Amino acid sequence: MVRELTAVFIGGYLVFLIVLLSKLASGKQEFASLIQALDSPVSQVLHLCVLVAALWHSVTWFNLTPRALPIFIGEKRVADTLVAVVMGYLPWLVVSMIILWAISEDWFASVPN
Amino acid sequence: MSDNTKITLEVFRYHPEGTGQTASKPSYDRYDVPFHDDWVVLDALNWIKDNSDGSLTYRWSCRMGVCGSCGMMVNGEPKLTCAAFLKDYYPKVIKIEPLVNFQVERDLTVDMEQFMEKLESVQPYVIRDDVNQTDDGEYKQSPAQLARYKQYSMCINCMLCYSACPVMGSEPEFVGPAALALGHRYNLDNRDQGTSQRMDRMMEHEAVWGCTFVGECSTVCPKNVDPAGAIQQAKAASAQKYFKKFFVPKGAGK
Amino acid sequence: MSKSNEAFWWSLFSAGGVLAALCMPVFVLITGFLIPKLVGGKEDPALVFYDMFSSMASKWPVRITLFAVIFFSLFHCAHRIRHTLMDLGLRHSTGLLAAICYLSALTGSVFAVLALIRL
Repeated sequence: MVRELTAVFIGGYLVFLIVLLSKLASGKQEFASLIQALDSPVSQVLHLCVLVAALWHSVTWFNLTPRALPIFIGEKRVADTLVAVVMGYLPWLVVSMIILWAISEDWFASVPN
Repeated sequence: MSDNTKITLEVFRYHPEGTGQTASKPSYDRYDVPFHDDWVVLDALNWIKDNSDGSLTYRWSCRMGVCGSCGMMVNGEPKLTCAAFLKDYYPKVIKIEPLVNFQVERDLTVDMEQFMEKLESVQPYVIRDDVNQTDDGEYKQSPAQLARYKQYSMCINCMLCYSACPVMGSEPEFVGPAALALGHRYNLDNRDQGTSQRMDRMMEHEAVWGCTFVGECSTVCPKNVDPAGAIQQAKAASAQKYFKKFFVPKGAGK
Repeated sequence: MSKSNEAFWWSLFSAGGVLAALCMPVFVLITGFLIPKLVGGKEDPALVFYDMFSSMASKWPVRITLFAVIFFSLFHCAHRIRHTLMDLGLRHSTGLLAAICYLSALTGSVFAVLALIRL
């Protein structure tokens, strides 16, 4: 049931993301006020809740993947943990790093220090 | 442990057609049973039947986790009573009830009819377009091909998964874990040619799509069949078949 | 016994499950914790972020990726919430429930598209 509940938090966060993109499209002023609002206790608490839910979703999703997609090499079924790492945790790490890298590239490019 | 150590079993009793001393309403009877380290719940039930109440009704056969007939709720959990040791519960009272999500026939026996119908509906047997004659020899299968489905062929039809499944409780039409896993087992079998007719049933709303991957079926399975995993694989196969029909014209191929 | 379109919704659910599992934690990390950390101490932080994000999100590969993540994840959530409500006993008007869940996801997706093409 906890796993199912993650959908509520992720869904709520997706609505926030859509609002964020809309404000970004609407111009500087609107976007700026939302960005300022992110630096508030309310935002921090909500984000923390969503982060826990999102992590829980990722972990449960990757852990169940090998059972839905078993991989065989000859007669041997590849160990579930190995499948979870190769098909889940590793891509997760790579995708997260790429996104963080892309953000930091632009961040350093746009901040003249 | 001294020889006269006892453990108490609280056993569900129900004789729908009962007369005389056996009440017809569901109730619980308590029995004090000798406690031994190496006794399982089934031993205790047999002791009750032999020594204190011959009218107690339950199914059992092999006593070794192969026949799949002694499944009951032990303290609310679906278990094979031949594999549930008294020492794991001692000194507490052990509550024995018939498997939930089934109709009770009498005491601890349940009506298996619906389960059998569901099992039959997925055609859990090898289907061939061309049947080999004896002289043609056997259908060949490599160890690697066997490995694909072996886990799902270990099912002993004990129905513990039907009692554990929360969907089963709210949607009695759901085909259920064991039957779907066995259907999937034959779809994975290289000797079988019946996938498409089997899938007609498995793709129905009350079949694979009833499952929400709660996974309780796999937790209680005494044979590590992992019906929940099998059903997810069957969902993926169903989805493939579903999308294929938009791209492949009707009647073309199989 | 009924034929089912569940395969369609389940496929969206699965795709969204994968994308959400891969992307959501890092997204949350960025909007929830990295941006606020960087906001502090800048005299006009919003300006910097605006230029940065608008230049980044207006690239077509980024727009398409963002759309895919939002679209599939929305349907993932809609499907999961729908089934959870059904498991909890909401089985009387399943058609209405499905309509509400999936139409919400669709509405969100439309707003996402509108925002992304205006960027």
